[in-house]
Amino acid sequence: MSHSPELIKELEDKLLLVRHNILRIFEASHQGHCGGTMSLTEIVTALYFHHLKLDPGNCDWSERDRLVLSKAHAAESIYAVLPEVGYVPRETLDEYYLFGSRFQGHADRWCTPGIDYSGGSLGQGLSFAAAMALAEKISTEVNPPQLNVSAMDMPRLSMKYNPAYRVFCIVGDGECDEGQIWEAAMFAGKYKLDNLINIVDYNKFSIDGPVEQIMPLAPLDEKFKAFGWWVKEIDGHNLLEIVDALDLANRLYGDGKPKCIIAHTTKGHGIPTWENVHIHVARGQAMEAGLKEGRKIYG
Amino acid sequence: MAKFNKYVEIGEPAPIFAGAEAGMLKVADKYNNVILIHEDIGSLGTDWFKKNAPSRIVECGIAEANASVIAAGFAAEGYTPYILGFTFAVIGRAYNQLRQSILVDHFNVKILGREMWGEMGVSHNVVEGIGSLRVLPNLVIICPSDIVEAEKAFVAMGDYVGPVFYRMESQVPPRIFTDDYPFEIGKAYTIKDGEDATIIATGYMVSESIKAIDILEKKGLDVGIINMSTLKPLDEEAIIKAAKKTGAIVTAENGSIIGGLGEGVAAVLAENVSASLVRIGIDDEFSQSARVIGASKDDLMIHHGLTDHDLAEAVKRCIIKRDKLKLPRK
Repeated sequence: MSHSPELIKELEDKLLLVRHNILRIFEASHQGHCGGTMSLTEIVTALYFHHLKLDPGNCDWSERDRLVLSKAHAAESIYAVLPEVGYVPRETLDEYYLFGSRFQGHADRWCTPGIDYSGGSLGQGLSFAAAMALAEKISTEVNPPQLNVSAMDMPRLSMKYNPAYRVFCIVGDGECDEGQIWEAAMFAGKYKLDNLINIVDYNKFSIDGPVEQIMPLAPLDEKFKAFGWWVKEIDGHNLLEIVDALDLANRLYGDGKPKCIIAHTTKGHGIPTWENVHIHVARGQAMEAGLKEGRKIYG
Repeated sequence: MAKFNKYVEIGEPAPIFAGAEAGMLKVADKYNNVILIHEDIGSLGTDWFKKNAPSRIVECGIAEANASVIAAGFAAEGYTPYILGFTFAVIGRAYNQLRQSILVDHFNVKILGREMWGEMGVSHNVVEGIGSLRVLPNLVIICPSDIVEAEKAFVAMGDYVGPVFYRMESQVPPRIFTDDYPFEIGKAYTIKDGEDATIIATGYMVSESIKAIDILEKKGLDVGIINMSTLKPLDEEAIIKAAKKTGAIVTAENGSIIGGLGEGVAAVLAENVSASLVRIGIDDEFSQSARVIGASKDDLMIHHGLTDHDLAEAVKRCIIKRDKLKLPRK
């Protein structure tokens, strides 16, 4: 099932806004994890503006979809979205890194409305997300949903119930060096967490260089499949492919398989200066050059 | 014969584990959001859960890093997870997971650390446990001294909302407390009053201190014992009061003297009151295997200088030091 061109156009407009906000964040802080943030912008845009079931007025809503940003250094990508979906005022973008700010250096559940997981120490988010997914299954088992079933609804319902919520996790590729990612992958396979969707931001570079040189990950798809996961590889900068994959993963709920979307991306995507040098944290001249270039492109 | 305070009645040896198990059954009965996180060494109350709430047993296998964060995720969803593991694994292997995913967000996770004193050797005898935990913000640390306190402390931990490390020692102390003993997190209990010196002990070393009293009484010394079963937050008031009274404090713990109870007490004394202090614990070294046949034969206690005789000697040294330095006492 493909999506309408109108939807994609709408998401493209939002994407520009998100990029614009990321630049505003960096302008205030003069430093940031620009590489891993820019590689995630399309994915985050598709999640927040099309996919996630959220209520910004009620952050603790028990049936909201969860989003665990395991690669919490890319928090700027989500910070850029939060004002646009109504979690925080837009001025918060200028508070990044400030003491007492809602926008901490790494995503922080305690400080930021709409953030589900406090990360920064890599490799742990997928475990957290898996627990949230299993908690949904246990809670549903204890308190099954009370559905008002009419005869007309029967064919649809007989397919399967929807989960009370789904859990999305975003991990980096370099992060997959951590053994705990694979402990969690094994755990999710064991407990058949088909309400868990893990997105790998496969931007091919970690701090010391190309991922394939630092610690080869390929074949990443086969690794997840071996642990009992459903795997889909996409172009992580193609909005249509992203929303299609997310919707497909949703529709497959009930198959007993956790879902992994391997999103092939480019570090620093959207800012040519940053793309070419595969930059992790930009500061000083590298930051100013990227900002200047970004402002020309995104206003 | 030593005169103990209310609620103290020394009885037969009884394992800490059994008290903790009884506490777990009470907690499980009281709260329907308890979830057991297994690390392939079982848990407390497992049979009860298998019968009454099998879906609330989550087996993570031998993967303690994952298990700790699984616990955090459940806590985020309103469950109260109890993780049981060997201390070296549940806090040692998963130290950063405990810090980042549990403590930073003050998640209501209870960590039950199984200590293995004796037979299992250096890997399982975690001398650095308390020291490595006391520095972590947001964590309450409990180390019960007998079967009764093990149960009472477990129930109190269940009622408290926030992360707790609960230390379960493998050494078997005698029953120390009566069934109506009131336990409160953060409150030390004075087991015995004394005029000449005070031993502040935690866990199994409380029972060793009780034995030391007999030796000291024969020497004509009237020594008090404080049971410091909450290692964080420390009961500073009790420490200061004892130091003002006797001017001679001996701390007793079966872990490293670096970072543990002794250092905690030393800091309180240094900032508040002049007193003589001697710390009894494991010197800066790892432990090893030893055959432990109850309290009657424990080569590790002898090697590390933790026996009742060592304690009695420490008390005498502490009193001599106090008198030499002319430190005040009431």
